[in-house]
Amino acid sequence: MLTRRLLLTSTIFFTLFILQESLFSQVRLPLGGFSLFLIFTICWSALSTPEVGAITGFGAGLLLDLAPANDGPIGQWTLVLIVIGYGIAFLRYGDDSLRGNPFSLVVLVAVGVVVTLGIYLTTGVLLGLDLGTGFQLMKILMGNGIWTLVVAPFLLPLISRLHRAIFETRETL
Amino acid sequence: MRYGGDNRSRLLLVILIVTSLFLITLDLRGVQVMQGARNGAQTVLSPFQRGASFVFTPVGNFFSDVAHLGRTRSKLKALEDENALLRERILTRRSVDTEIGQLKSVLNLAGKASYKIVNARVIAQGSSATFTQTIIIDAGANMKITRDMTVISGEGLVGVVKEVYPTTSLVMLSSDPSFRVGVRIAHSEQIGILSGQGTNHAVLQLLDSQSNVKVGDVLLARGSEGDKPFVPGVPVGQVTYVADAAGAVSATAEVKFFAHLSSLRIVAVVVKAPDADPRDALVPPKPMPTPTPTVTVYVTPSASPSPTTKK
Repeated sequence: MLTRRLLLTSTIFFTLFILQESLFSQVRLPLGGFSLFLIFTICWSALSTPEVGAITGFGAGLLLDLAPANDGPIGQWTLVLIVIGYGIAFLRYGDDSLRGNPFSLVVLVAVGVVVTLGIYLTTGVLLGLDLGTGFQLMKILMGNGIWTLVVAPFLLPLISRLHRAIFETRETL
Repeated sequence: MRYGGDNRSRLLLVILIVTSLFLITLDLRGVQVMQGARNGAQTVLSPFQRGASFVFTPVGNFFSDVAHLGRTRSKLKALEDENALLRERILTRRSVDTEIGQLKSVLNLAGKASYKIVNARVIAQGSSATFTQTIIIDAGANMKITRDMTVISGEGLVGVVKEVYPTTSLVMLSSDPSFRVGVRIAHSEQIGILSGQGTNHAVLQLLDSQSNVKVGDVLLARGSEGDKPFVPGVPVGQVTYVADAAGAVSATAEVKFFAHLSSLRIVAVVVKAPDADPRDALVPPKPMPTPTPTVTVYVTPSASPSPTTKK
């Protein structure tokens, strides 16, 4: 059972990663656009238990780290997404008012995306990467948040259906 | 039920975080395995990127056109189908024309300075999840490209090769925030350092505060030792604004890049620099005012209006 879930989940993430890197990265949107892969990862973690959230973050982060256009050291995205995956699953899992309310999930995911990028930038600064002007970074962060708010409502039903098909019950790993 | 987080899940979290920190350490120490992993990922991705670029480029502006199809009357539909097909052909043609135009101008520039170049097509434009400005081109180690080679377009400097994969390579654009290039103001010997800002403008810092830089001055790459990463003489950009700070140690100015970094289709990698520095030969010509046609008629009066008989 565990192997089946792991295999299905990694297949989904791998496909999405290839789509993101080859197809969606060709689309130029105003304000920097959004990352479908990040939205998907954060949604997926939010729907899972904290353990699964952290493992999801680990796998997704590893894939993002392998992206050739990525500049930072391998492991940076992994670290950020483990923390975010665990944190977001923890938040949502413990709070009954957040569960079963689609609107709050959308907001949670959008905030999650912005926080993820923020942590990535902060760790990048700590690791000594060159990042550019504050205004440009703020624009990208805000743009990502807004785009996620716009796109997430359309993606959520699909993601939660996929998630339910693979993890029939939410409680067990 | 409030989730408290038992020992098992905390242990898992700690293990995962330690693993990622371990990966970061390995990569920062420059362990070969890590670079190999990224190489492998690019090898897997490049056919997909090629495919997506092939499919996506001609139809980029086409979705809006397709949206108007779907009327009920069959004749109208047939006509519109034909129209759409023709329009698609024109779009394809136009995108090919753009590529030909860019290829021509880059060959022109390289020929003028006698750079030895390898042409390449842009197959992907970075990744939106990162904050760096990069492109991926379809020429790599198979075309004898190595790290730190200069990449140019028809207008001027585009960037520098950062990573080389078997059949593709990653190019850091000159707009990247960590990009630095030594430049020289054309027709003078003033030198400075240009740094990318993440936009199509860059900041020029002149090494001498006494220098008199003017709006409109053209900047050329100064060239590096051994022609890596920059070959000399490549046009970089034009000064658009000069910051007037009397007390500053060095003068700064804002520069607009010649190359249109967001619409690159064909670029060229300089694999060998010329033996002699081309100096100011590559400064782009000033835009000419469109000449108004003037007609001059020369009338030469003949002395005798007798018809010529000589055949």
